[in-house]
Amino acid sequence: MTSIPKTPSRYRSRSDAKTPLTPSMISAFNGISISPQKRSHPADLSNPFITKSRQASPVKRAAGGGIAISDSFQRQAGGGVIRKGGIETRLDVVSRDYLPPTSQPRPELKRSRSTPATRERTQSTGDNRDRFITTREVDDVAATLEIMSLNPKTASPGHTARLAAATGVPLNRRVLAYHEAPPASSSDSTLSQQRELARPLYGRPGELPSSTSSTTNKSRRIPTQPERVLDAPGMVDDFYLNLVSWSIQNIVAVALAESTYVWRADTGVVSHLGEAPEGTYVSSVDFSNDGAYLGIGLGTGEVELWDVEAGQKLRTMGGHQGQIAVLSWNAHILSSGCGDGSIWHHDVRVPRHKVMELLGHTGEVCGLKWRADGELLASGGNDNVVNIWDGRVGDVTDGARGQAKWTKRNHTAAVKAIAWCPWQSSLLASGGGTNDATIHVWNSGTGARLHSLKTPSQVTSIIWSPHKKEILTTHGYPTNAIMVHAYPSLERIAEIRDAHDSRVLYTAVGPAGDVVCTGAGDENLKFWRIWEGVGAKKKKEGKERSSSTTRSGILSIR
Amino acid sequence: MATSQAPTRQAITLKGSTNLVTEFFKYAANTILFQRGVYPSDDFHMVKKYGQTVLVTQDLALENYLDRILKQVNKWLLTGSVTQLVLAIISKDTRLPLERWVFDVNLVEKPADSAEPTPAKPESEIQAEIRYILKQIVSTVTFLPIIDTPTVFNILAYTHDSADVPADEWVDTDPLAIEASKSQQVKLRSFSTDVHRIEALVAYRYEG
Repeated sequence: MTSIPKTPSRYRSRSDAKTPLTPSMISAFNGISISPQKRSHPADLSNPFITKSRQASPVKRAAGGGIAISDSFQRQAGGGVIRKGGIETRLDVVSRDYLPPTSQPRPELKRSRSTPATRERTQSTGDNRDRFITTREVDDVAATLEIMSLNPKTASPGHTARLAAATGVPLNRRVLAYHEAPPASSSDSTLSQQRELARPLYGRPGELPSSTSSTTNKSRRIPTQPERVLDAPGMVDDFYLNLVSWSIQNIVAVALAESTYVWRADTGVVSHLGEAPEGTYVSSVDFSNDGAYLGIGLGTGEVELWDVEAGQKLRTMGGHQGQIAVLSWNAHILSSGCGDGSIWHHDVRVPRHKVMELLGHTGEVCGLKWRADGELLASGGNDNVVNIWDGRVGDVTDGARGQAKWTKRNHTAAVKAIAWCPWQSSLLASGGGTNDATIHVWNSGTGARLHSLKTPSQVTSIIWSPHKKEILTTHGYPTNAIMVHAYPSLERIAEIRDAHDSRVLYTAVGPAGDVVCTGAGDENLKFWRIWEGVGAKKKKEGKERSSSTTRSGILSIR
Repeated sequence: MATSQAPTRQAITLKGSTNLVTEFFKYAANTILFQRGVYPSDDFHMVKKYGQTVLVTQDLALENYLDRILKQVNKWLLTGSVTQLVLAIISKDTRLPLERWVFDVNLVEKPADSAEPTPAKPESEIQAEIRYILKQIVSTVTFLPIIDTPTVFNILAYTHDSADVPADEWVDTDPLAIEASKSQQVKLRSFSTDVHRIEALVAYRYEG
């Protein structure tokens, strides 16, 4: 007799009687679906009385598998009548309610001689599922076992051995873990700092915590949105140019390609001042100290002088061989920095305007600032050099003034950002370009470098706060940010990331010292209220100063 | 005689093979930690390895930690004591195992009756296989469930009882298994050297 249709109950009771089985063991044993192995030989074993293997009784090593029967028969037998070719064969039917264990635990130990060769694998390819145990993946079961925390050590050795072998988690295996826990991610301080600096590379304006988040002083809130945005169509994205200037009379001059416009901040009126001659463009603008005159530098190397109030060009001063990327006024002297590295002083009152030439740069001069008292002139160039010149203008006799008083080569990129400190006149701040991104503060009297601060991106301009001990810097690649630092600690007070969609290139501070105007290649001119509550009396002082200069300053220009 | 040469060649390649396997574990672990966001992605930098760029952590503490573990794994591999390495990713707060990256270590069966020594597997082929596995690990992010919560990882080693375990460094622990009903498994590619065969699979927690 080959196949005896099994009646579960009968078998169960029989097996139960033989060995005390805990339900967990049953399920464990049920769950063993050992990976299929090649059947090297057909099942020849068999004790024909045993058609299905079951839990091994300790004594009787039931013949493995009882596969005298082919799989299909087995299935059929187990599942009731399954018609050949009938629907059940095509459906994936879990046809059995309960499947007594089919696989054979193989102990290395006991094996009665009488048992025929045990088959290691049984029913491996057959349908082992039954209603209660719908999956028989080995790993799952092993995992389940572990969760059930079957502790092999407390059970009897023979039993545990069989159990272990059956479940595929052999006893002689240990699961080890390193005694230390893995390090937390922010354990490295330099890395976390780097991470913070590198964050903008991966984020975009919306996502970034940006601006005043991590490092702001709680008491200091700087609005991260500009107070006002003006449209500046045609504003070029050129690092070396200086296209924005804000006069003491609260007028902003903006150069857009060839045209120059003035915007009166008090009234909000925009007027077109002038056009550059055909074929050239405006490369720099700068208001005189009293705000009455505007110097415009052109790409051809000419410097124009305009009367702001009248809106008229007063004179054109030519002679330079390259574009005039930067201008700076000192009373009646207008200094121009040229693309060929030369700096000329123009006395705007006299016909022969060129009164002095300073040659100290081998690269284009992009930063130029007179100190407020006119004693010194600072210049920065594309050759990464910062020069501090004696401000006295006149013939160079013995070369003493022909050379810069101090020449600083610490920067490793173009120095466009140059600013003198308003409250301590010997201090000069300079900032380097993309490669450098560092701010250095110098003592112009001794030439010493007092402070240095590395920033995350190229420094495009520096502004000292007129009323607070702070420095504002604007940046380009990659953060396009506006940052405010405390002085002298150089601790970051605030940061406005992505202040513009492109590099923040042109900056000017208002006469009141509270609003900063920034321009960028994204054709926007944004006004940021950085420093609030500027004392009213300071304003009055400023006004007085301006009125006095108009009396004693430039009175008439031919 | 060819056959007498074979044993010595085997001994050399055993060490070379274990080094290869240990190195593979290092890069695989780094890749997994990066892809699954266990450590912030900025902590990783790219190096050239196996003919492609792989990400390795810059965090010194983590690097040292991994090196210590892998040094011991190397020793175990030499003696053949370790059978499985698991990198388990568990939730930081609830210690719930979310993923298990299981690497089986098997010894390549030498056909005992071969007269001539089998030709050594060229390094380029082994490297290619490793490349495939690493690429596959990277690609698993497409189906692995997204992990939002902060996680930590644990490396578990399944060794033989007889293995020489430095008691003060390695302790027996719970295997951090995912419940059977909630675990899904995907078998990944494997690679083999002349001596070892490494199979990889990832088991992840999947609700419903």
